[in-house]
Amino acid sequence: MGCIRVGGFPALAIAGALALTTAVPAPASAANGTIVFGAALAATGSTAREGELTKEGYDFWKDYVNSHGGIKVADKIYNVDIKYYDDESNPQTAARLIEKLVSEDHVSFILGPYGSANSATAAAVVERLKVPMVEGNGAAASIFSQGYKYTFAVLAPGFKYLQGILEMARTLKPVPKTVAIATANDTFSVEVGQGAADYANAHGMTVVYQNKYPAATTDVSAVVSAIKALHPDMILNGGHLDEALLLQRTFKEQSVNAKIFGYSVGPDTPDFRKTLGKDANWVFGGTQWSPTAKYRGAPGFIGDSNVYAAAFNKQYGHLPEYHNAESTAACLAFMYAIERAGSLDPQKVRDALQHLDVVTFYGILKFDSRGLNVYKPMAVNQIQNGELMTVWPLGVQNAKPAYPTPPWNAR
Amino acid sequence: MELFAQDLVNGILAGGIFAVVALGFSLVWGIMNIINLAHGAYIMMGAYTSYVLFSTWHLDPFLSLPLAFGLLYFFGYGVQRFVINYVVRAPLLTPFLLTFGLSLLIVNVALFIFHGDTKGITTQYSGSNISIGTVTIAWTKLWTLVVALIITTGMQAFLTASRTGRAIRAMALDIDAAQLAGVRVSHLYAVVYGLGAGLAGAAGVLISLSYSLQPSMGDPFVITAFVCCVLGGLGTVQGALVGGLLYGVLEAFGSQYVGTGLQDAVALVVLLLVLIIRPRGILGKATA
Amino acid sequence: MGGLSGNATALRVTVAILILLAFVPLLHSGYDENLGRSVLMFATLSFGWNILGGYTGYVSFGNVVFFGIGTYTSAALWQHWHQQSIPLAIGCAVVVAVAFAIVLGIPILRLRGHYFAIATLGIALATEEIVANIDWLGAGSGQAVRPLEAFSSYYFAMWAVCAASMLVTYLITRSKLGYAFVAIRENEEAAAVLGVDATRYKVIAWAISAAMAAAAGAVFAGANGFIDPPTAFATDDNVFPIVMALLGGVGTVAGPLIGALILTAINETLWSHFPQIHTLFFGAVIVLVVLFLPRGLLWLMNTRGGWRGVVAAFGAYRL
Repeated sequence: MGCIRVGGFPALAIAGALALTTAVPAPASAANGTIVFGAALAATGSTAREGELTKEGYDFWKDYVNSHGGIKVADKIYNVDIKYYDDESNPQTAARLIEKLVSEDHVSFILGPYGSANSATAAAVVERLKVPMVEGNGAAASIFSQGYKYTFAVLAPGFKYLQGILEMARTLKPVPKTVAIATANDTFSVEVGQGAADYANAHGMTVVYQNKYPAATTDVSAVVSAIKALHPDMILNGGHLDEALLLQRTFKEQSVNAKIFGYSVGPDTPDFRKTLGKDANWVFGGTQWSPTAKYRGAPGFIGDSNVYAAAFNKQYGHLPEYHNAESTAACLAFMYAIERAGSLDPQKVRDALQHLDVVTFYGILKFDSRGLNVYKPMAVNQIQNGELMTVWPLGVQNAKPAYPTPPWNAR
Repeated sequence: MELFAQDLVNGILAGGIFAVVALGFSLVWGIMNIINLAHGAYIMMGAYTSYVLFSTWHLDPFLSLPLAFGLLYFFGYGVQRFVINYVVRAPLLTPFLLTFGLSLLIVNVALFIFHGDTKGITTQYSGSNISIGTVTIAWTKLWTLVVALIITTGMQAFLTASRTGRAIRAMALDIDAAQLAGVRVSHLYAVVYGLGAGLAGAAGVLISLSYSLQPSMGDPFVITAFVCCVLGGLGTVQGALVGGLLYGVLEAFGSQYVGTGLQDAVALVVLLLVLIIRPRGILGKATA
Repeated sequence: MGGLSGNATALRVTVAILILLAFVPLLHSGYDENLGRSVLMFATLSFGWNILGGYTGYVSFGNVVFFGIGTYTSAALWQHWHQQSIPLAIGCAVVVAVAFAIVLGIPILRLRGHYFAIATLGIALATEEIVANIDWLGAGSGQAVRPLEAFSSYYFAMWAVCAASMLVTYLITRSKLGYAFVAIRENEEAAAVLGVDATRYKVIAWAISAAMAAAAGAVFAGANGFIDPPTAFATDDNVFPIVMALLGGVGTVAGPLIGALILTAINETLWSHFPQIHTLFFGAVIVLVVLFLPRGLLWLMNTRGGWRGVVAAFGAYRL
């Protein structure tokens, strides 16, 4: 149904609540200057929470770098600062603010906004202004089909989100054969669903149901009853937290059982577990990253994923979610690119980004010719007894997948 | 066939909530000729009331329903008496935009207090269901329907039997004559609007049992209320009930047989057809 | 003096402001250009709404559907025919939108008041959802639109569209068309009795309204670089033009642009001082405007007694 969005009017941005201009005290060696990064992030509006998580990720990196020797550019040392503006969760505002950052604040490096629509509009702007942007929060491939050269995304593209679950499923016994896929009708989710369907079809599984529901719908009964009638082995959803909650509840209400329930968004989020309680158990989620995934860190930054998680927890009072991690990873990409370019020239940094190839606490950071990190695998986690465990791939798991999911009345 | 029966049941269950959603909206529109775009905000307030009471004192939503109703009633009364009453006789656009502005205000206050993250209520009994033949019915939804019917019956009794109710109906027929007869119109207008808000709050509580909560959650239900009122006819309890149930069933079948991606479009097309062919709806009276 | 056009001084001032706006790209600030283009876009949408809502008295709550049609026409031209020409996009958008308006107008314009308003809202919502299911238009994922290298072209195009809309509004007020519209607004039955073909004029009003919105949309698409259903049919684009017309003066020539400028200025000021709660204040502004200036600022200028007149008039509509 039509949702009256609470997005604000495009407006003149002055460093309101979000502009940070105070630098962290300089490290022992004197710095030759400060590199300023720019970011238009939601501080208000419907994605304010995700915007806040993104900001935490960016700031964590900034604070760490500034207290650990800064960034080395050729033979000079630089501190780092980030200039924020609130895009109100509105794509047009994001575009306008990025114009401001580049043309008025003379920022040469843009950290991406939150969300696919905001990222898409931002990508068009940075392409025209010829400054590189690295983002960790807009996973839709449609952004990358335009031949843009200045946008890079560290996160695995949308179509991979559920593939990890299917990959894992093939190793389980008995192998699940049929899959139902329900997605929200928006850029990101449709791609997630299609990616899952393509993988299933290519690996001997049958897609018995593939359908879209309106984004932000409040009613999924038709979807659920149709799926129920087909008795699939696996049920997958590409959508958002609200729908994940609604679907999981409706599955229980309608006694819909399956061997695997998988969601692209949801299980990662503490709210999902908190709201559903024990009804959240057994659910699988595709994830870019989780604190329990064991990724090795690259030199020059904090270390392995568990070290990152602990340090983050210490600074922000909560374990990092994937939004935090992917945002920090975006900053890391810039950092390594700038160091390898040995220059602050936007063009040279852009080229260095294109040729980046480094393994970090977040996984591999490497971009194909479109700017997509197709090399990054998706991990799979599962909620087991109220805890989120990483169960796939084998190299990063810290628990085995619990399979098959018992029927509702047997829990 | 099993799908058909399940969809029908789903539709009726959803329709119960829609009826309560539509009832408050219909009263305000039918009696005062005001389209209350803040209706969604009141629904949201009711839902959050239920959430706060549930998460702080573990009060079951069905029990917090009367509280939410009362709270929203007084709030709505105040809004009407001290704000909207000043523009009641203005052309259509004015109350429309006024209530829209109020809605923005209320939703943003909620956003400020509760933030945008999704919240939900999961009770002990949520998810439990019974099966009749091939049809599965969730207990929560069934009780919601029962409560919805109780509320609509109660409203009907109030409007027909009580003195206030009769005064309200008189006022709706001819406001000047009612005023001459001694009816305190500005008070009664506020009562009606308060009832509308209270009913929205009650609907919000019912909704909070099955759906997630967010500050903007109420807005889609304004459209729902529109459609139900148009389908069933304005200003009467029966109209809201019929409109709600019919809309629920239409949505259920529409999404199953036309396509889930188009479920809202189906309802809206039906709305347009009804507006073109029979604007007063099924039970509405022809306007003079 | 003005007649249907409204206060002549206000009109001259507004035209002067419009001419000044044409020079914004010379400031060489991407930000200012973006903001200015936004003002011009909203003003155009407001002009469009004003024709049907202000002059003819048919309050539409779904004009964004034509804006959306405009954006998608532009997007389709790029995606399927690799055309980036702005005049072409505007031309096609106007043709499609006018056709849509005529086809829908004939049944829908028989409705009145609230029913017409809801019907238009329903059309906008239904169209958004239907478009989200059409693969040729990118479905829910949307389509990218490659902007021209000479990016300021979009600014000038939007300016031209806005100026044209204002001019058309002015010409209407000086013509038989304008009097027919107002006659319908004041008393449709009487107008019909006097020989005004109400249906024909209502459809014309809606078609003009649609053309303006679609032209704005066609330019917006290229400037924005990306179109998807929520962007094309955004509620902001639906409601703000109405508030702007109200603020500036419903049923006047200058009103929409004045309203667009003032509302943008208010929004910017609010945002710079109250970033966390500026949307909340925005809601408060709408409430205050509706309560105290139900017919807009230009009405205020024409009222005897100025501000005191406003206070005295407050409550003219009360019970």
